Formats: sequence, C-alpha cells, structure tokens
Amino acid sequence: MPSAHEPQAPLKNIRVLDLSRVFAMPFAGAILADLGAEVIKIDTCQTQFMDTTRTITGPFPDNQPGEFWWEQGGTFQNLNRGKRSLTLDLRSEESQKIIKDLVRVCDVVLENFTPRVMARFGLDYESLMSHKPDLIMVSNTGYGHSGPWSNFGAMASALEPTHGTGAFMGYMAEGTDGRLTEGQVPNKMGNSYSDFLASWTALGGLMAALLRRARTGQGQWIDLAMYQTGTTVIGTGLLDYVFNDRRTLRIGNRHPVWSPHGVYPCQGNDQWVAIAARNESDWQTICQAMGNPELVSDSRFADPIDRRQHQEELDDIIGTWTSEQTSYQAMTSLQEAGAPAGAILTAKQAITDPQYLDRGFFETVHNPPEVGLRSKGYVGRAWKFSNSETGIKGPAPRLGEANEYVLAELLGIDQQSMERLAEDWIIGNLPEGGGAPGQVPLDEQAVLGWIAEFHADYLDKLPPVSPRN
Amino acid sequence: MPAGLLNGFRVLDLGSGISAPWCAKILADYGAEVIKVETPGSGDASRRMGPFAGDDPNPEKSLTFLYLNTNKKGVTLDPSSVSGRKLFDRLLADADVLVHNSQPVESKELGLDYASLAAVNPGLVVTSIAPFGQTGPYSDFLATDIVTYALSGLMYHSGDSDQPPLRNVLDQSLYVAGANAAAATQVALFARLTSGEGQHVDVSAAECLGAHLVQPLPYYNYMGAVKGRRPVRGAGFEELMPARDGYVAPSVQGSQPWATIADLIGLEELKDEKFVTGAGRVAHGEELKELLIRGLAQWDRKPLFLASGERRLVFGMAQDAGDLAECPHLEAREFFIDVDHPVVGSARYPGMAVRLPGEELSAAQPAPLLGQHNAEIFGQDLGYTAQDLITLRQHQVI
Repeated sequence: MPSAHEPQAPLKNIRVLDLSRVFAMPFAGAILADLGAEVIKIDTCQTQFMDTTRTITGPFPDNQPGEFWWEQGGTFQNLNRGKRSLTLDLRSEESQKIIKDLVRVCDVVLENFTPRVMARFGLDYESLMSHKPDLIMVSNTGYGHSGPWSNFGAMASALEPTHGTGAFMGYMAEGTDGRLTEGQVPNKMGNSYSDFLASWTALGGLMAALLRRARTGQGQWIDLAMYQTGTTVIGTGLLDYVFNDRRTLRIGNRHPVWSPHGVYPCQGNDQWVAIAARNESDWQTICQAMGNPELVSDSRFADPIDRRQHQEELDDIIGTWTSEQTSYQAMTSLQEAGAPAGAILTAKQAITDPQYLDRGFFETVHNPPEVGLRSKGYVGRAWKFSNSETGIKGPAPRLGEANEYVLAELLGIDQQSMERLAEDWIIGNLPEGGGAPGQVPLDEQAVLGWIAEFHADYLDKLPPVSPRN
Repeated sequence: MPAGLLNGFRVLDLGSGISAPWCAKILADYGAEVIKVETPGSGDASRRMGPFAGDDPNPEKSLTFLYLNTNKKGVTLDPSSVSGRKLFDRLLADADVLVHNSQPVESKELGLDYASLAAVNPGLVVTSIAPFGQTGPYSDFLATDIVTYALSGLMYHSGDSDQPPLRNVLDQSLYVAGANAAAATQVALFARLTSGEGQHVDVSAAECLGAHLVQPLPYYNYMGAVKGRRPVRGAGFEELMPARDGYVAPSVQGSQPWATIADLIGLEELKDEKFVTGAGRVAHGEELKELLIRGLAQWDRKPLFLASGERRLVFGMAQDAGDLAECPHLEAREFFIDVDHPVVGSARYPGMAVRLPGEELSAAQPAPLLGQHNAEIFGQDLGYTAQDLITLRQHQVI
C-alpha cells in the first residue's frame, strides 16, 4: 500500500560503539550499519591486538596481501562494511577514558571480550552505565558472564560440538549386516555456525531493548553466551532426552520419517542435489520425473516404512539417475514435476544463482581504488522491508579513518591532544609492528584440502557489478 | 514471567512447523503477548512431527510443538470462511505483528498477503518467512530444510571433504530463519515509531543461511577459490578427535603458546620444536595427528575441557542432549525453565538464548492445547457470546 513517507533507514538515529572482534558481533554491527545506524568500530594500530580479520583471516585479493594488507581481507570487508573506524589502545587509561566519553553519545555497545578483560579495562556494563544510564550493551562470550565456565575462552570451531549440534549430525556407519546404521561420530555444520547464531540472537535482543528504551527510557545489558544460544536451536533434541532419555540422532542425510531423503551425486566435481519426499505424492512425482514410474508399484518401495528398509537400494537407483545430469538439471526436473529438490551450491555457483541474482542478495560495494580492492559483491541481509531503506552503505573503514570525526567532532578533543595521541601510536592510520601475513599458495592449499578447487579465471566469471549509486 | 522488554506488543502467530513459531516464541520470551492461530481440527503441522513425549504420537505431545509454543495463547480459526474472516479481522485490528510461513501462493489464497492485511490494519507489521522469500524464480519451489540448506550455499561446507555434504537433523535452516525474522520484525516495529506505519517484512530462509557465507564468498570473488568441507588431511586441531569416552575438539586458537597446548595434552613428543609454529604443524601434520590421537586417548572429554578452560585454551567437547540437559554451567546460569503442561506434565525446558540481568525467565506457560484460549480471546476479549462460539464451532470456524 502507498506510504505517506519516503522510506527511511530504520536505525538512522542510532549510534553504535563496536568494540567487538572476529565474526559474531562484528557481523551484527555490520547489519546495524546496513539498517542505518552509525557504527564506530574500535580498531587499534598495534598489529598484535588488531581484529584478526584485519590481519590473518584473509582471503586477500588473488591470495596476495598487498601494501595495505590490513584493509584488504575479504572476510573483514564483509563483516565491517559501512562502519567508521577509530583507533585506540585499550591498555591505556587515556583510551579507556575516551571509550567512556564516547559511550555517553552512543546508544549501543557491542563487545566480545572475556569477562575479566572488560572488568580490567573498567568497561564492564556497570561501569559504563554510570556514564550512560540507558545504555544497551551486548556482551558476547563463549560461556557468558555467570556460571563456572564464564572465564573460558571460545572459538566457534570448537564450541559448536560443545553446544550439541553434533549429537544430531553425523554420517551413518556400516552395521554388521552391511546395512547402514546410526552413526557414533559427531560432525559439524562448520563455517563458524555458532558465531552466526550469536549474530542473529544479538540483533533480536538489541532490537527488543531498543524498543523498550524508546518507550520507557530503560537500558539493558544482554549477556549472550554462544554456548547457551547454541543449545536453544536443538531444544527439541534436549526435550527428547528429558521425556524419552534419547541422547543422539545421527542418520546422515536421512530423515526420521520421510523417505527417500538425502543428497545424490551429479555430473561434475563434488556436485550434489538434495531430494526430499515428504509424502506419497512426492514419492510418485519423483518416480515420474526419473522416468521410472514402475518404481511406485515395486513392493520394496511401497510405503515410507518399506522404503527405509530398502533405503540403500533406493538411493542407488536415484543416484544413478542424478549422476547423469547436472545438479541444476536434476533440481529443475523434480521441481517442475512438483517434488522438493535443490542443488547443493558452492559459493561460486551461489554468486550467479538465478534466485540470489533476482533478489540482489549479494550487494556490490565500490571500494576506493587506493586500497587495491575492486568492486565486490558482499553478503546482504535476508530481510526485504516494503517501507524502509536498507542496504550496505559502503566498504569497511580504513584503519582510523574516523579518528578526526570521533575525537574532534563528537568529543571535542583539541588538536594538540590529538597530536600527542598520534605520537603515542594510540591514534593513527598504519599498523605498528608486524607485516603482511604469509599466504600458502592456492595450489598447495588444494593439496592440503583447505580449498576444494580454484579458478584463475574467476574474475571473468563473476556477475556484473551493479552501477555506482 | 517472561522478560518484559516487549510488554504491550501483541503478535499473531499464524505459523506452522518451526520457522514462524520460533520467531514468535522469541518475541514471546521478550515479553510480547502472542496469540497462536491454528487451523481448526488439525492445528500446527508440528503437532504431527516427532519426537513425541513417551513416543506417543498424540498432537498434544509433540516435543517440537511443546518447545516452540511456550508462553503463547492458542486459538483455532479458519480465516477462509466469512465468519472466520470477521473474527480474524477483529484480531488483526488489535495486533502489532503477524508472522506466518505460508508459501507465497498459499498466502494469497488465504487472504494473508500483505495488501489484504494492511487494508485492515495499516500499522501492522507482517513478517512472511518462506524458504526463498516472496519473490524470484524459486519463490514457489517446494522446499524442506535439506533443500533450503542445499540452495543457500552453506550445506556444501558441512561435513567431511571425502563424503557428501551433511545436514543436521533438527532443521537448522528453520531456526536460523526464525531468529532472523524475530530481529527483522522488531526492526519494522522500531521503524514504526517514526513512520507510524506498518510494513511487510519478507524473510528468505535460504538467504538467512547465505549470509553465513562471509568466508566462502570472498574466497571465490577475491581469489577464485572454492572453499570446501573439512579436510581429511591435517593435524586434527579444530576437528573432532576421539578421546576415551567420546569426542573432543582440540584447538590451537586463542592466545596461548604451543607449549601450553602440548603440556595440557601431556605427551612428551608433542613438545618437539618442529610443532611450535603453525607452518611446522602443517608440515608435520600427519605425524602430529598420530601423536594427538595417542595423547587424547588418555583423556575423558570433560576433564580435558575443564583443564583447557583453566589454561585459557579453547578446546571443545562433543556433548549430547543428556550432557546439555544436565550441564552444571547452564544450571548455574539458570538457563532451564519449569513448564507444567496439562497433558505431558511438568518438565525442565531450555530457556532463552540470552541472559537478561534483571529480566530473568524462570518458568513459562506451557504450549497451548488446540483451541485452549478460544473462550478467553474470542469471548472475553472480543465479546462473542457463548452461543456465538457454539455456532462458530459447529460451522468449523473455530
């Protein structure tokens, strides 16, 4: 319906102090910037204390950290797009005071230090609240600010199995009769899954706190423990233990009830299609689409119970059909016939996938030429608003690009003090110490299994970037 | 009592299954009043999903339903009939949010498309969750969790590189979509504070997972590399490795030197200088993995995990549902909540994803029985008489 107003950015009057590093909270901060908030990332010139996504995570353009390596990491760029950058050295009292002054003019603080670090800096919620009574702050840690494990550090790669997703994920094992049976070995969603659960959870909590503050003036501290957050997405599994004493379910890509259900090989290197039959109608459709309608009357596959008992034979039949076509062809013929199926996309395929392209999910960012980055597509948001203006505002900030803006304009610090801060390497635009991280050549990475494959001609295959606004 | 952050907001949960009900549960836990609207007779599809309490496939015993619908009131209503639509429009008029996960084509048929809803209540925020969103060539694709996960681009990275991609059986795409939708819905409510207007929020579950590609995407568009699944080769760190009583995830991440790690695992050979640097551990990966397997075989999961934490290392351990339900750390954080349900009885459920000091949630109302609050919502709130309700029931409207 027509709106009386021009769409506006939902968070245009919100200022965020982003003290966070690595993946989870920086990504939450990036989304807040996409929604119109002014997000000030606290950076540092001291290379050893820099956000590791600036230093070691990469990937760098053509695997070459250039002259400005600390500005060039592709993951850093995705996670920090649209923010401002202020350098500080949080070990110094002067920097800690600047943070406290800055908190007074911010609405939200994001941070992911372990509890003892923030307390040591005097930047815990209670201390900051004395400077900003209605402060909203997310403290994201592995295990939270209370409980016996609260000072344990965490990284998503090791945290994910700890919060239990691996109890419901694992390949099947071969049983004594040669048939596949429930597996014992846990597996991982991978790709820092726990971090992203934290990003989405933080955004939900922050918005609830902002809504309440708008109505009551009250602030809120959000103690986000990634371990705890991770258990909530397997709540049904926990209740299955509480009510039925069941602890795990590792059945590969099979479904507890539906059959067939799985991934099947397709033409090409490591290409797969996922197929699911939710009911008898889907099963009949799949048989028709495979050009094998007589399977419907095969007594081995008469109903889902029979099909599960003959799952290996059935998977062979389906796999033979899929392996003669591409994953997109198999998906298209099943979807057109009316059965659920989807190609398993690599990032290379996702970036040119018709659905992602149609919705403009990967948003083009035009990088300034002086940092040696071309215009790139970055991950967008899964939310389309009919009446709000959202989108990536620009590239990740260059180190300390907002020092002058934040210190002089927002905090009124004089030029002389700024010069002293620069002399002490507290503010600056260059890293102090360290050099460009070494990179393992891509052909070696392929041998080590760190990457599946690489394509030297990738630049010719990228979709065209959207024009500059 | 639920946390009070969203007190005063009213949400209609027209969801079925997982994604929209999870979104509405998050809003309920933050204090919104959530009215769950189910189809008369059959109810939410998750009522027919296993597992069930006591393995009894009774629609009031579905564990997914019981988990996802705490702190909600439940009514039954068929909005496609004339009197059902009248009733539904009365509910809409007082609501701030409507969340649903019907496929785009179904929404239109049910009159749940945004234009129809906004005509009744222009201030309403309508959140639609669909596997691929409301637009685009896949918007009417049939999808289940595995299909959405596949097309998101994320599934390719799950599992081992010498095996097919692997999913988690607990429908993670739908939880990620629900959590995204809860955040996005509140963004629209926040925008309404200024604009005074509601709007449509179109959430694509595949894109929710696609947003996790912050590494694989630049691997390709920065350097032409396709990031794969977990390598089979390597030293075994950051992977699940066997310990005496299960699996652990040893890690070299964090800020501690190699000596701390070697000392913790406790095998003399691990202290060899050749393993001190990352490059050394790559070069001697196979040898290191053998040593790691030998060293970890001396440990049970939990003592190793605790010793790691105390040394500021970041090891993990594979925990199952029982380990988590009885976890002393979660207990100390008062994570679990007491829920007493008239059919399945009293039990401890997982609580909120975050701890909100000053706003803790210690107990919750159980998931509603099918149509449990019809009399309260339609009778007390909307003023329908007992006779009206009998009439509506006989016409299968409620």
